[in-house]
Amino acid sequence: MDPADVSLRNTTYGMFVALGRAPSAEEVAASTGSTAVDVLAGWRRLHDGHALVLDAEGTEIRMANPFSAVPTAYRVLAHGRWWYANCAWDAFGICAALDTDGQVRASCPDCGEPLAITVQGQHLDQPSLVFHCLVPAQRWWDDIAFT
Amino acid sequence: MNLFRSEEHVDRWLGSRSPGAMLPVTTLNALARGWWGDRLDPGWTPHSREQNQAVLEGLGLVGGFWQLG
Repeated sequence: MDPADVSLRNTTYGMFVALGRAPSAEEVAASTGSTAVDVLAGWRRLHDGHALVLDAEGTEIRMANPFSAVPTAYRVLAHGRWWYANCAWDAFGICAALDTDGQVRASCPDCGEPLAITVQGQHLDQPSLVFHCLVPAQRWWDDIAFT
Repeated sequence: MNLFRSEEHVDRWLGSRSPGAMLPVTTLNALARGWWGDRLDPGWTPHSREQNQAVLEGLGLVGGFWQLG
């Protein structure tokens, strides 16, 4: 991955956390002294390199994993703000990425029962819950939104 | 990649579909720390496949299901 693209990725992630949402290409361009066209071109290369995920039109960020730019069934309270995660793995990943404790909120896909987990470092207050991964690792990126 | 109340709930949700892999949520939390812990580091650089595979193996996640493409 080109160092300039890595730098763009890191700026984009930093802005995501600072704003509490996905930045637009124009916002990143203004921050980096670039143009929205150049930012979009870099984002597309990062998308192809699985460093972030763009929407179907290729113009907005859909995932800055573990963060989701769109509402999902996995919500996380961390650093005083609610975030959406792309999946259960990413929900705990948000606490890890922010290096903080947090609260994960979801519901059991089978019965719909609300799930509320407090994360304190390695300690979880609901340790009996179970994570299930349906798609084998080799196929995670075939359809990352489904995965 | 979902979180369930128990293995029974996973089995019921799967129905006739083939199961994937099940982990205790505590292992998931450890996996998340190893996988995502550096994502906001200012000097982040991409993980190699070998690095990611090592994170999985370090938690005992081995075998074909966990083999990265």
